Amino acid sequence: MIFSFQLLFEAILFGILLGCFYAAVSIGLSVAFGLLDVPHVAHPAVLILGAYCTYLLGSYGWDPIVAGLALMPLFFLFGIALYRFYYETFEKRGTDAGVRGLAFFFGIAFIIEVGLILAFGVDQRLVEAEYIGKSLSFGEMRIPLRMLLAFAIALVLTAALTLYLSKTFTGRAIKAVAQDEAALRLMGADPVRIKQWAFGIATGVTALTGALLIIIGPVEPMLDRVYIGRTFCVVVLAGLGSMTGTLAAGLILGISESIVLMHFGASWAPAVAFGLLLVVLGIRPQGLFGR
Amino acid sequence: MALKLTVENVDAGYRAVRALHGVSLDIVQGETVALLGTNGNGKSTLMKCIMGMVRPTGGAVTLELDGQRHDLTRLSTEEIVNLGVSMVPEGRRLFPKLTVEENLLLGAFRALARGEITKNLAYSYEMFPALKERRRQLAGSMSGGQQQMLAIARALMSAPKLLLVDEPSVGLAPILVSHTITAIKELKQRYGLTVLMAEQNFHQAVRIADRGYIIVHGEIVFDGRSVAALEQNDLVKSYYLGT
Repeated sequence: MIFSFQLLFEAILFGILLGCFYAAVSIGLSVAFGLLDVPHVAHPAVLILGAYCTYLLGSYGWDPIVAGLALMPLFFLFGIALYRFYYETFEKRGTDAGVRGLAFFFGIAFIIEVGLILAFGVDQRLVEAEYIGKSLSFGEMRIPLRMLLAFAIALVLTAALTLYLSKTFTGRAIKAVAQDEAALRLMGADPVRIKQWAFGIATGVTALTGALLIIIGPVEPMLDRVYIGRTFCVVVLAGLGSMTGTLAAGLILGISESIVLMHFGASWAPAVAFGLLLVVLGIRPQGLFGR
Repeated sequence: MALKLTVENVDAGYRAVRALHGVSLDIVQGETVALLGTNGNGKSTLMKCIMGMVRPTGGAVTLELDGQRHDLTRLSTEEIVNLGVSMVPEGRRLFPKLTVEENLLLGAFRALARGEITKNLAYSYEMFPALKERRRQLAGSMSGGQQQMLAIARALMSAPKLLLVDEPSVGLAPILVSHTITAIKELKQRYGLTVLMAEQNFHQAVRIADRGYIIVHGEIVFDGRSVAALEQNDLVKSYYLGT
């Protein structure tokens, strides 16, 4: 292996862009699992569903970003319905809700996967848009425009959610709900409605990041399995429920993966997420930015 | 009378354990009423019945407010809070991973409190300067006394008419107990509150109470219409006054 600063620099730069993308696809999970304590292992499946819905609208000539934005309200409602169903059938019934909830969301993930295979087949799908194939050149380096898009969307989502969670009454209640539901009732807020609303937001955001996923590269129905490790790694690394932490953790994962990819080969890259997760859990169980 | 809380013949319990037996009490606008009793006699259960956190198995809990009667046994905790009833719960129940200020702002969640948020926040900080200094600090990292101040301030952020305080003295050093009780008195005057306070510490409670009830094994054993009447009571003498 030949070490070169040029290569390292490129790896880091690409890692930053990749990391923003990872942060963006994880942010819905950061709300659902990080803040609400819902073991939402179907999050990556919902992400892929968002990508396929974007693909479907794309086949009618919609721009993928516009499609992602248009899907947000629909996914918001889907999220509310999904949480309500989870709450009524599992969470409400008691103490082992965590374990059974895990089974519930595995089931949902499986249904989405199979549904997508039946509807679209197992082949890879992609979308087309003006900005997808282009790149910006800086000297010898070329930065794909679609990665800059991921960068921008990650920043906007992080900023918007951070503001929402800290500046609105509902946002603050969302941050409090997993800490003490009974105390939240004493503040005059209904914890179930708060969680339902927050889960709606998490799912709505995931529609847009699903569009981002299919802009970055082609998708296939089983792609969610790769993203389970990555998204959970980012959320746990961040410290549960921290939005700026999610961005930072995404960057750490992106940069690490990118360096490993360039210096040790592609086959090692998927192991990075779990490696990082184990190290962080060992040294700092509350996550890097956890309170 | 603009506000009157009536508890009539309330029974309540947790599965097989009956915690309250036919408890009755009332409290009218402007009063400070102490609910006296040692640990495990049902003070907290009674408070929770009023807040809709424990459902009575019998009896009635009614709040009369500006001529309207509300059956509290049929309302959820949130709906009771929205009527203007606020509680400082046992063990404070702060949100430990939120900052002091976030805890206070959550206190003003109910619609009617939101309009008064600036005024009430300024007043909380004036009343408890330590909270202002620590407003960016996580609530869980503060000392017990500061947490108690925060719990009281947070309850007041909801601009309540009726304030329930469950054992404000638990886990605090004597000097802090005294401060806390004084603070409740000042707040009551400032906001024109009606206060029901469950407390084990008789001496501190009667400093601010107009009258009190003594609860033993889930039953009201004495209805003291004045502090003097309480001090004359044999139970109080034997339990608290050592005579």
